[in-house]
Amino acid sequence: MTKEEEAIRKVHVENHAFMQQIRHQFAEQNCKSVTFVVYGISMHPFLDSGRDKVVLVPPAPPRTGQVVLAEIEPRRYALHRIIKIDGDTITMRGDGNPLWMTEQFTADKIVGTASAFIRKGKYVGTDSRTWRYYSAIWHAARPARRLLLIIYRRIIKHIL
Amino acid sequence: MKIKEGFELQNVCGEYIVVPTGIDNVDYSKIISLNETAAYLWQNCCGGAFDIDTMVELLTKEYDVEESIAREDCEMIAARWTEMGLTEE
Repeated sequence: MTKEEEAIRKVHVENHAFMQQIRHQFAEQNCKSVTFVVYGISMHPFLDSGRDKVVLVPPAPPRTGQVVLAEIEPRRYALHRIIKIDGDTITMRGDGNPLWMTEQFTADKIVGTASAFIRKGKYVGTDSRTWRYYSAIWHAARPARRLLLIIYRRIIKHIL
Repeated sequence: MKIKEGFELQNVCGEYIVVPTGIDNVDYSKIISLNETAAYLWQNCCGGAFDIDTMVELLTKEYDVEESIAREDCEMIAARWTEMGLTEE
């Protein structure tokens, strides 16, 4: 192994163990945020698997539109957008997932709240105009999302 | 030299990683991982001051390795730790 290869190596850890690590950092190490690379296509087109990162802060009071990382089933986690809060039940869905594919959980299952994304190396805070603009467009485009996703995945991805 | 305070060696799913503790932002996309031998040295050195001799002794005690080779490896790893800002005088 050369020094460079030794210096940068991708380490994949099992999700559950990693989430425990994050919880530990938040709860016991006084840590205010953690950053890590995201995997999976459910937050497409904003987040690209293996390329983009999320900055997670300790769980904030849930709000619709927020992106949170939650344990949706025992030892299964997802980083998706909250679309509905009904009493104690929070519903979220990945931006890139079909409309029927939602997850329900309660607030205690939230591991952290996204405060920013690092997309193509660029920092995008969830309070930034870029993110709010993207969120608004994505929300408005609901009926045409499938089509937009297909177009995005085939064409625009190579341009943007 | 000694290992700086504020670093904790953790085993996450068989990977030894050095996690900063008590800091505001932990970036897991840039984390330092150690192999088993390095982790062994770390665990036994993190208590206080150590030098290359301490490391060589630890290594030859635990592993079947010639002292000269062990010394070379220890010098390299100590240099890397220092380079990465994990140690102080």
